[in-house]
Amino acid sequence: MTLPIRLSKDSREPIYHQIEKQIKALIAGGHIEAHTPLPSIRALSKALEVSVITTRRAYQDLEQQGFIQTIQGKGTFVSNISATEKQEVKVAEVHETILQAVEAARRYDYTFSEIEAIFQKVLASLKNNEEA
Amino acid sequence: MNAIAKISHLEKIIDYFEIGPIDLTIEPGTITALIGNNGSGKSTFLKMLMNLAKPYRGNIQLFGKWVNGPDESWKQRVAYLPQKQIGFEPFKGETLKEMISGLYPNWDESLFQKIIADFKVPLHKKYNALSPGLQQKLNLALTIPRNTELMILDEPTNFMDIPSKSLLQDILAEWMEHGDRALLFASHQAEDIQKLADYLVLLKDGVQKGVYLKEDLLENYQTYWFGHALTDTHEIPGILTQEGNQLISDCPPETEKALEAKQIKWHSRSALPLEDIIALLLS
Repeated sequence: MTLPIRLSKDSREPIYHQIEKQIKALIAGGHIEAHTPLPSIRALSKALEVSVITTRRAYQDLEQQGFIQTIQGKGTFVSNISATEKQEVKVAEVHETILQAVEAARRYDYTFSEIEAIFQKVLASLKNNEEA
Repeated sequence: MNAIAKISHLEKIIDYFEIGPIDLTIEPGTITALIGNNGSGKSTFLKMLMNLAKPYRGNIQLFGKWVNGPDESWKQRVAYLPQKQIGFEPFKGETLKEMISGLYPNWDESLFQKIIADFKVPLHKKYNALSPGLQQKLNLALTIPRNTELMILDEPTNFMDIPSKSLLQDILAEWMEHGDRALLFASHQAEDIQKLADYLVLLKDGVQKGVYLKEDLLENYQTYWFGHALTDTHEIPGILTQEGNQLISDCPPETEKALEAKQIKWHSRSALPLEDIIALLLS
């Protein structure tokens, strides 16, 4: 199986961390189910054009946090994640995405209340669209 | 885990050209790309690994054995594809296979057949009747199934078309899945390096510029764009090149710190493509 992971090589976020986060999001979002086999470290490294050292680090972290499980001689599989854990990942991801948007606005020197106004505007327009 | 290859202070002098000193360790499970400009000593270095050329100074150990010692049993554990095969011309592919497969105890016949089928190599034709691309495909089919712990390929994708190159990348990645093998390959192909290499060894005119983990190279070279041309940059560290409103840094954390201290804001920041980084390091 292949994974829809997209790395940003421009980002300050280390690559292994980007891999980790995106796999977690795929698991938490229910896009890859428990017991699904993941690509081997070499196969994923080739697909993402990174070294096996980086991919291995991401897999090791994910394993430590209980998201995946490596079975000797068989491969790496998605673990059974509780609903609470999935929820935590989702909350963290949304939080992180909003934080990045706010940081972008701060780089344009917007004040906090101006950012809040933009945010309200975005929400209102989304709401309008959904109701229509 | 024990290193597959240990190369220390390796030097060679050919006429007035000096190669080295080269220091390199190859661990099982890793792919190392050897990169350099033409005539940088890559092939000579690989020949020294195979004890086909004598170093002037330094040591090479493969599987814990000195390669220049009397015991050459390590050769069975290494598959080496030189840039030019000597002596293959009068033979058919099927004859070459019979000759070579017998020398390697781990010869994988089904892998050989798969590579021959994937690359559509006619085995009944004499080697010298094949096009350079087909010759190279046959060479690879005669090398990869030896299933040795170390494989050394000197410019494996020479003369190959784009679909074959990508097929070879798949074959090599799959080859790495079995056991604790290591691959060392010399290449000018950015695509092969990007897809396969864990480590990059750069040789510039015989001198080893360094051994780099691929991501470290990508993280250490960044381009910045500014709203206006930069004028006073002489106090900013890490600047590799600067032209108008664009600068390239080879030490982004220090460059950024200095820019922030001077209150110079960049509007975009982007990693340099691997090919550009290699070009910078080799020019």
